[in-house]
Amino acid sequence: MAMMIFIFFAVLSVITAVLIITQKNPMHSVLYLAFSVLSVSGLFFTLQADFLGAIQIIVYAGGIVVLYVFVIIIINLNQLVPEKRKLFPRFFITAVPLVLIIEIFYVFYKKIKTGSDISIVAESMKIENLSKMLLTDYVIPFEVASVLLLAVLIGSLVIARKELKNDTK
Amino acid sequence: MIPNNLVIGTGLLIFLIGLIGMLIRKNLIIILMAAELMLNGVNIILAGFGLFHRTASGSIFALFVIMIAVAEAAVGFALILSYFRHKETYNLDEINDLKG
Repeated sequence: MAMMIFIFFAVLSVITAVLIITQKNPMHSVLYLAFSVLSVSGLFFTLQADFLGAIQIIVYAGGIVVLYVFVIIIINLNQLVPEKRKLFPRFFITAVPLVLIIEIFYVFYKKIKTGSDISIVAESMKIENLSKMLLTDYVIPFEVASVLLLAVLIGSLVIARKELKNDTK
Repeated sequence: MIPNNLVIGTGLLIFLIGLIGMLIRKNLIIILMAAELMLNGVNIILAGFGLFHRTASGSIFALFVIMIAVAEAAVGFALILSYFRHKETYNLDEINDLKG
């Protein structure tokens, strides 16, 4: 049963992921991105990562997708970008994914006996344990992450700022 | 019971779709979206390994990956906006100078 739910969300997310990269209009791709992000959060809920699924919905579907929509509205460009390429880049962009496709077929068809039994909720995967680990074992990456987010806040403000003519340097 | 190769295969497939999108598209915004897709695929694999080893470390690492994705999207959009102000295009082939 859990496997069926997993396969349902997996197929949904893969189909919408393909639709994202094949749309001509970026606004349509943003809507498919929201769909894909929500189905990936369904995958997280199936994999017992409840906190991760909630964060995925809040941060991606609530934050990043809206940011994409706003940027497309601000840029407001109606031109369609031509997608023609020369021979050598075309060879390169087919060769690199082909190697990875072979790897994916290997992963899918290799018989791995082990699986994750999700009928029992493990004590070590509960949210209390996650928060404890985040503030004990992973406290240094946590603090570095906060510094990084502050740097991103200031940096993106400085980069995207409109420079006025009578700006006193 | 979810087989591990199914989880890893799904994550790799979404990563691969993101990689293909990043390589074949020339629209800057769709390239950023493909980067988000790649990070999503990595997150699926991390959550799957966290379940497999019965530890919360997978979720924590995926949390850091999500945070990096947010940072990347914010800085990428700032760069796109500031570039778009003096060159009215988001075709990747016409973006070939660094001087402002």
